[in-house]
Amino acid sequence: MFENTIVERVRPLAQAFSDGGLTRLRVRDGDFEVEFRRAPAAVSGAVADARPAGEPAPARPVDAILADVVGVMRFLRPAVGEGMTLDGDRELAYVETLGIRNPVRSRGPGRVAMIYVTDGQPVEYGQPLFAIER
Amino acid sequence: MFRKVLIANRGEIALRINRACHELGVATVAIFSEADRGSLHVRHADEAFCVGAGPVASSYLNIANIISTGLICGADAIHPGYGFLAENARFAEIARDHGLTFIGPEPSVIAAMGDKATARRIMDESGVPTTPGSGILANPAEAAAFAAQIGYPVLLKATAGGGGKGMRAVESEAELAAAFATATAEAEASFKDGRLYAEKLIRSPRHIEVQVLGDQYGDVVHLGERDCSVQKPSHQKLIEETPAAALDPAVRDRLHDIAVTAARAVKYTNAGTLEFLVDGPNVYFMEMNTRIQVEHPVTEMVYGVDLVKEQIRIAAGERLGFTQSDLQPHGCAIEVRVNAEDPDNNFAPAAGTLGRVEFPGGPGVRVDTHVYSGTVVPPFYDSLLAKIIVTGRTRESAIMRMERALAETHIDGVKTTVEFCREIMRDERFARAGVGVDWLPNYLANRVPTPA
Repeated sequence: MFENTIVERVRPLAQAFSDGGLTRLRVRDGDFEVEFRRAPAAVSGAVADARPAGEPAPARPVDAILADVVGVMRFLRPAVGEGMTLDGDRELAYVETLGIRNPVRSRGPGRVAMIYVTDGQPVEYGQPLFAIER
Repeated sequence: MFRKVLIANRGEIALRINRACHELGVATVAIFSEADRGSLHVRHADEAFCVGAGPVASSYLNIANIISTGLICGADAIHPGYGFLAENARFAEIARDHGLTFIGPEPSVIAAMGDKATARRIMDESGVPTTPGSGILANPAEAAAFAAQIGYPVLLKATAGGGGKGMRAVESEAELAAAFATATAEAEASFKDGRLYAEKLIRSPRHIEVQVLGDQYGDVVHLGERDCSVQKPSHQKLIEETPAAALDPAVRDRLHDIAVTAARAVKYTNAGTLEFLVDGPNVYFMEMNTRIQVEHPVTEMVYGVDLVKEQIRIAAGERLGFTQSDLQPHGCAIEVRVNAEDPDNNFAPAAGTLGRVEFPGGPGVRVDTHVYSGTVVPPFYDSLLAKIIVTGRTRESAIMRMERALAETHIDGVKTTVEFCREIMRDERFARAGVGVDWLPNYLANRVPTPA
């Protein structure tokens, strides 16, 4: 088994799952097993929903909000905090790319379950920034 | 010298650049798409940033994300490799505007040479011979008028072109309208520039190109020629070698002289290649590639010069460390492109996961590759998996060595060009040297595919 299973095997499968618009995908290959399920209301949660087979689904679907550009993370003032409830599609922060402000939005209401980045941190494409519980 | 170089490419050439940087003591930043996360070029770089999804428009052509990566990482230069943004003058300009040195020629030179019709005009004015050709053709009627004037067959070519895209041979006026439409569409799709020009089609010329290096102080040298006549029906190169065998020494000298004259005429800096059609004693300038080329290793092997390091040194403002008389070639080198393609099915590209991968070794063998057992070959990019380069004191010994090296090569999981190229190494006509560009297409047309 490769040292980095996520990189080598899960990512391409997650991509295929996401691109294919599938709702459920299970792959078994020797001792390697992974299952993807799309949460009913998820907009972009393919990666976040990946978990080992057999583990129960979380009570509430969680969307990972990923960076769609490369740049520097900039929080708003006041900054969004973990546990904060969002009443709609809110701007959570922005990613600055070559002086251009690329808003990061919550894509609907929910609760900020996790903040993965800090203000001023460089982020790459596809990097998880926030987890929003719906 | 630079402190940190951003490598704006993928695959074997990204790894090649990474090696050159590390040997110069320069730190590297790799970029990659989501489809290339497991690639060796990512693993060997000092830092790596994902810049987009698999499709090239999202990642390897995403100028904003690439430049942004350079700024975030504190890179002071960008090496574009070949393909993607390597001949994009706008990219070179944007990089410079953000304080990143573009490792290549001046943007204005990239633009002039990148527009094939402009390049031909400049070469004409510098006394470099070109095939009889038209300017930009507005419509099939203009193409027909040009063809009537110089006679069929003619070759329609995309002015933004390269790699055989947007190129069509037209044998008669009856074929012209349809060929014009497909070439325009192909050029539009490949380069976002559908403009075409036409040239007199030289039947079965040899494709011979000359490598040049120019520094920022006006010194220009050539590093001999490469014979790239073994091309697929799509005009893509498959096997390259240096020196060009069975070539009149006077023609060889003339090619070298023309290349240096032309490079001086456009005040060329960095590494570049001038491509020529050679038809007996006649040589015609075709185009200039303002970048490192896929087949650069054969030149490196016989001249003992690291072209990628030279590119970096030149961009950093260093002088060429040698003169023309210092550059003496030794022996012969051949390169085979190992592509994920099916030679029995018109070289259709294949994607998939590689099984067992074994590359050759031993004396006189070099392998440039980014793949290994288990590599996922994504469907988004060109199908090059590896380049196998061999040297020999003579062409004959190099061919024997390549045959041996290909016999040691195993790639499971996708169809490749390995066995087919091995077959070519055993071919009696190839052994006699001097084939033209129509040789391989004719060979394929008369070939019985190997049983699966």
